[in-house]
Amino acid sequence: MAQVSRRSFLRNSGLAMAGAGVMSQVPFLSSLVGAGEADAPAAVDTATAGTDEGAASLTEPLVAHVRDLSTGEIGIFNGTREVVFNDPQLAARLFRAAQ
Amino acid sequence: MSSHREAPEISKDPVADSADLYAFVSPDNPGTVTIIANYIPLESPDGGPNFYEFGTDVLYAINIDNDGDGKADISYLFEFQSETTNLDTFLYNTGPISSLTDPNWNRRQTYTVTKILEDGRMTVLGSGLPCPPCNIGPLSTPNYEAGLANPAITTLKDGITVFAGQRAEGFYVDLGSIFDLGVLRPFAADHILGNLISTMAGVNATKALNVHSIAIQVPMDQLTRRRDMPTNPAAKDSVIGVWTSASRQAATVLPSTPTSTSAPIYAGPYVQVSRLGNPLINEVIIPLSQKDYWNHEAPASDIHFAQYVSNPELARLLPVLYPGPAGGPAVFPNLAAYNAAGTPNRADLTAILMTGIPSGVIPGFQNFTGTVQADMLRLNMAIPPAVTSSTLPSNLGLLGGDLAGFPNGRRVFDDVVTIEIQAIAGATLGLVDPSFTPDAAAGLVNQGLTSSGTEISAMGTENYLTAFPYLGVPHSGYFTPAS
Repeated sequence: MAQVSRRSFLRNSGLAMAGAGVMSQVPFLSSLVGAGEADAPAAVDTATAGTDEGAASLTEPLVAHVRDLSTGEIGIFNGTREVVFNDPQLAARLFRAAQ
Repeated sequence: MSSHREAPEISKDPVADSADLYAFVSPDNPGTVTIIANYIPLESPDGGPNFYEFGTDVLYAINIDNDGDGKADISYLFEFQSETTNLDTFLYNTGPISSLTDPNWNRRQTYTVTKILEDGRMTVLGSGLPCPPCNIGPLSTPNYEAGLANPAITTLKDGITVFAGQRAEGFYVDLGSIFDLGVLRPFAADHILGNLISTMAGVNATKALNVHSIAIQVPMDQLTRRRDMPTNPAAKDSVIGVWTSASRQAATVLPSTPTSTSAPIYAGPYVQVSRLGNPLINEVIIPLSQKDYWNHEAPASDIHFAQYVSNPELARLLPVLYPGPAGGPAVFPNLAAYNAAGTPNRADLTAILMTGIPSGVIPGFQNFTGTVQADMLRLNMAIPPAVTSSTLPSNLGLLGGDLAGFPNGRRVFDDVVTIEIQAIAGATLGLVDPSFTPDAAAGLVNQGLTSSGTEISAMGTENYLTAFPYLGVPHSGYFTPAS
């Protein structure tokens, strides 16, 4: 079982809202949709902002959930965290990839 | 039942289903508190070949609030690991299991205990701790308690003792009658449909079943806000709130092209899927539409559910279900009049279940944690266990004059079903509303599973132990097949 942190343990449905540059941390998504940095959304999890750990390798499962295609709200589950951000273009590409 | 299969979603997820929670001053070690959280309700003892085990994808927790805000100040986390040693057999064991290291035992579990404080400090108290096997039968698990269960009791640093494994179900309840339109068999004749059923003695539906218990015994001074020994029953700091919770990671992905070695993927934050403080809250207080939500919420948010406690559906139903004989006196006339006088505001139930009972209500007793309404099992640790000849325990706890019993924490033998039904029937309303006179029947309602208030071994639950982990030797599959 993944290491649990106090923060992740305490929140029942808490979300970490996103900031700039999150695409650099989600290589799985980048390779899936062929997106470049130009498509980076506007937010990043502030808990890891300014670091590039995780960019080189994916050591834990990463799951993306397109919550709302119209707003582009995407939730990313990685380790014991959830990051939510809005990227309508990425959401649309994920949707097309699933067709 | 206390909390067995009590909500639609968790009823499909037994390994994460918190069934019962106990918290009491250890009668044989009174400087400590024992907390037992049961999971996997209604285990049939012969449930092989894949006998019961804890979920390796579930984060189990025992939570302590020591400042009355309904939030955990201390949490003990339990995470389990499973190992299959022989990959080429379908058998749980390939011979007698004579010890916790016996190579005949093919499917075993270990666990890690981690303590987390409110400020985030984490301490791993122990890892690789052994669980005993399930009690299969005399050929597979001979000498079960001495050879397998007792060696799985582990003493950790700081004087903490833990056990995690199968136990005999200690909770007793007449399920078949209660969920058949609220029948209590000893009072079936007074039921509104009593002419359609025969009168018979109570039936202990759980007497031959097992559960999986997580038990921890902790020195009291590790639980109080100021890290001191509670000695004053009147002091707020002597009271702790306890609840258990089970959580799963938010995302599960099953392999779409499975192989013999593929496994599900888990990702994301832990999401609470089950919790339990006081018995029977989610079972009979929270309405069906709110039960799953209740399991996801934290006690600190329980104000959302306060209306169901202060105006419980069952209190409205009792006068209807038990109108009394035709032409004769009603069974609950005073409760019926109280209900009819306006929207009920059962401050007694709110105190018992949501805030604790303040000083001045019951002489010499309080377990009040403050005004925050939160479902927690509240234990005043400064009240000694009732073990002497002058303070014999009562299975009716406070209702039986025993200050060391439910709702002051909960002991394994407390008849919480009878206690709560009596309270809901109005037996405790007079404590906070002197104008209300409880109906005589309120104090007589019972399950019929004990012969008296002082009987602490209910019908079929003769397996209680006098020492940790207190719940008895699990029923053997060989001797207790499913009926």
